[in-house]
Amino acid sequence: MEAPMIKITDLEKFYRTEEVETIALNKLSIEVKTGEFVAIMGPSGCGKSTLLNILGMLDDPDEGSYVFNGVEVAHFTERKRADLRKHNIGFVFQSFNLIDELTVFENVELPLIYTGVPSAERVKRVEEVLDKMQIMHRRNHYPQQLSGGQQQRVAIARAVVNKPKLILADEPTGNLDSSNGNDVMELLTDLNEQGTTIIMVTHSEHDARYSHRIIRLLDGQTVVENIMI
Amino acid sequence: MIRNYIKTAFRNIRRNWSYAFLNVFGLTLGIASCLVIFLIVRNELNYDNYAKADRIYRVTLNAIDFNSNVSLAIAPKMRNDFPELRVAQVMYSHDVMVKVDNKRFRDNDFAIADEHLPQIFDFKWIAGDPKTALAEPNSLVLNETLAKKYFGDANPMGRVINVENQINAKVTGVIKDQPGNRSVPLQMMLSFESIRKQVNLKEFWNIGGGFFTFVLLPPNYPVQRLQARMPAFLKKNWALNPKEVRLPIQPLRDIHFDQRYINNVITPVSRDTYYALFGVALLIIITACINFVNLATAQAIRRAKEVGVRKVLGASRTQLVKQFLGETSVLVFIALVLGVSLAVFFLSVAGGWLNIKTDATQLAQPVVIGWIGGVTFAVILIAGLYPAFVQSAFQPVDSLKNIAGRMSKGFTLRKGLVVAQFAISQILIVGTLIVAHQMDYFENEDLGFNKESVVSFYIPDGKKTDMLKNELLNNPGVEQVTLSNGAPSYNNNFGPFQAPDRGLTKDDVTETKQVDENYIDMFSLKMLAGEKITKVDPKDTVQNVVVNQTLIEKLGILNPDKAVGEHFVLNGQRANIIGVLQDFQSESKHKKRRACVLIYRPGNFFMASVKIRPGAINKTIERIGKSWAGLFPDNLFDYQFLDDHIASFYTQEQKVYTAFKLFSGIAILIGCLGLYGLIMFAAAQRTKEIGIRKVLGAPIASIITLFSKEFVVLIAIAFIIAAPLGYYMMNNWLSNYAYHITIGPWTFVLAVIASIIIAVITIAYQTIKAALVNPVKSLRSE
Repeated sequence: MEAPMIKITDLEKFYRTEEVETIALNKLSIEVKTGEFVAIMGPSGCGKSTLLNILGMLDDPDEGSYVFNGVEVAHFTERKRADLRKHNIGFVFQSFNLIDELTVFENVELPLIYTGVPSAERVKRVEEVLDKMQIMHRRNHYPQQLSGGQQQRVAIARAVVNKPKLILADEPTGNLDSSNGNDVMELLTDLNEQGTTIIMVTHSEHDARYSHRIIRLLDGQTVVENIMI
Repeated sequence: MIRNYIKTAFRNIRRNWSYAFLNVFGLTLGIASCLVIFLIVRNELNYDNYAKADRIYRVTLNAIDFNSNVSLAIAPKMRNDFPELRVAQVMYSHDVMVKVDNKRFRDNDFAIADEHLPQIFDFKWIAGDPKTALAEPNSLVLNETLAKKYFGDANPMGRVINVENQINAKVTGVIKDQPGNRSVPLQMMLSFESIRKQVNLKEFWNIGGGFFTFVLLPPNYPVQRLQARMPAFLKKNWALNPKEVRLPIQPLRDIHFDQRYINNVITPVSRDTYYALFGVALLIIITACINFVNLATAQAIRRAKEVGVRKVLGASRTQLVKQFLGETSVLVFIALVLGVSLAVFFLSVAGGWLNIKTDATQLAQPVVIGWIGGVTFAVILIAGLYPAFVQSAFQPVDSLKNIAGRMSKGFTLRKGLVVAQFAISQILIVGTLIVAHQMDYFENEDLGFNKESVVSFYIPDGKKTDMLKNELLNNPGVEQVTLSNGAPSYNNNFGPFQAPDRGLTKDDVTETKQVDENYIDMFSLKMLAGEKITKVDPKDTVQNVVVNQTLIEKLGILNPDKAVGEHFVLNGQRANIIGVLQDFQSESKHKKRRACVLIYRPGNFFMASVKIRPGAINKTIERIGKSWAGLFPDNLFDYQFLDDHIASFYTQEQKVYTAFKLFSGIAILIGCLGLYGLIMFAAAQRTKEIGIRKVLGAPIASIITLFSKEFVVLIAIAFIIAAPLGYYMMNNWLSNYAYHITIGPWTFVLAVIASIIIAVITIAYQTIKAALVNPVKSLRSE
């Protein structure tokens, strides 16, 4: 059997203040295979975002193991994590997180700059992906000049321009109306069908139905996994 | 990549233009100030940088005190005894009257100089031969400016100029104008041969003001060797005791700074003054850098999200540091271009105001360019590096959640920096107040005589003195007239005195004022005992004198009443003390007051001083001028107000004071810009808090207090640092003067009040604006 892309075992994450210790993830174990589309659901504060941050190597766990593509990364240094991240993972956020000072084109180009892709190649790839996301005509606009749906399409374009193996989406339709939300979900589905693994945190049962599998969290633990048919 | 940084930088500037404006404006002022100060200081520290300056010395006199003037007898004897040296003598005078084609002029910086001078000082010759131009009698060398003034575009060579109605001299050379930083500035030189027959070249003690002797040593000739031979030289030529009389050989480059030679011909300045000015430049740049750091770290809160996104997308820390440094560099370069332009503009327009005799072309010199480059590089590193590291350190998870900016780390440092800025402004305020007070003290307080509405002028012809006096007394605007060899602040006659009866067998020196019977009354000199000067028959050889307190103390008499009736030896003759005066300030306050003797001697009344009735001062002076011109048709009427003459003792201080006022003001302004920026960000950051407070019922006043309170605390902390530092530095400065003010607590109280007022004005607008925002709006925006 093919090894999973992601395998986390007994993962723990605590948040401490002076008086209280909050357990965000409590001995959580999950596997995600290459090419899967997984939705993570659960009420506010159940640990969804913490899990996504750890999966995206933006944050490190306190306890447990995280194996990514066969490599144990739980205690990697920030530099190593950043290196692994920029070549393998794309992010889509609820609030888009585009850089206001950069144009659509430049926002999408940014990951390519940071991975050292030469200029001519960058132009080619950015144009390709903008074309695919149908926002080529907006390439010289700034984020604030775009609608929410367009901004999210730019964010997705930016997430995929580096051809990542994994896309992490944190409530990608949370700030969108239903029509724009559906467009975004179609885009993600297309990407998944072309082979990209997708893990998506969502509150929406409707969006979750686009996935292959739903992992429901409560108090930092898996309560149930639904396999979608 | 670099293109990308620059692009982002420009976009950021455009988006946050107020932030960029505050930074660039502050830094522009800072860079311009630093450049101007650098040029001033460099100009001053490079005084007398003649090509052979390292081998040029001035022969000075140290008998009772240090004197930069020496007898004309010294130069010929030195040439005779030390043939390996080149020796030149100069009789320098601040001004001179000349007549060219029947037009009279009074111009500055005149000297009678011998033919050796051009071999020592490398003038730049436009016409004439440096070897012979001053060799013949009645030869005259002019600088370019005067040549143009007298002759326009015509060739000046060979033209005749009349000097002081006495000598008709032919122009034999034209030199380029000298730079401003020359101890002996020369615009016009008359050959020494023209007057050789009229001067005493033998007598050692025949010393006139401005009689300088310069020597040029051969290469590799140690000055100590010459110095060691001076005692024998004195003994051989004038049989002088080398223990009592010395001829210190003073390096040319020290003349501008050597405080031992304070006198009225050329006033030396203290190097400390220029180091202090340099310190102000440093404080200005530090203040501008603090602005940068503060505004950038405050911005960091806003930009935390951007940093987070960039990190998520794979930016390494190094890349982010480079990006932020790039942005700083762009701002610094903009400020640099503006700052250099501002400095050029300032020097060309306002240079005279600061009395800077330097010009913008100095900016093109390699050392200045190097200095500019160094400052720029330092500012980029100091101002850019820390914020870059702070900003790039945010963890992406934190910064995306936007909690990064609320970390206390940056804010504590920012408070520290604000305290530093307040401390700098307070030190500068304290400094400026003290300098202002001392300047006022110099010119107005504790002089010991009345200087109001008095004008003085020289009398060219002693035979007409009585006629002039009558004309003056007939002028209805004139209140009083006195004749003398000089008003109280004109001290030009010194003589030796002894008192063998009282054990004072060695010569001491006293100033001698030869005055008429009105002098003491007109200048309101205060008598302590005895009688005033009265008119005596010129044939009477008895010397009845009024002396000052310092003189009787030298005689060992403490009670003025007991001094009356005593006698001492003045100029080798018995002098009877008929009265005692309180000391008055006849010289600059740099120096201790000296012994002074007042004596009636009409033969030496060279100067008339007139007290003018208040009201029509200009009209009265005009009438005086007419009477004067009627009596002395061959001369130019040239008068000076007594207070202007006193102020002229302190021109160096005045120059530095003006500079201090200006640059302290700029430093404080730059600090205010930074404070304004900080409060702008604080207000923006606390919009929500203000909204909640207002919903809960807080009045506007309490919100304004909320903001102001913090700054008052910071000002208090700054004061604890600034007060002792300011006291120490200014006390040091004051100790340069024999007479100075004492620093009182009010100076510090004023400084604190000033800095609170400045801070309140600076933060008022933003604070009130924030307090007035409708809470619904501020809460919704979150």
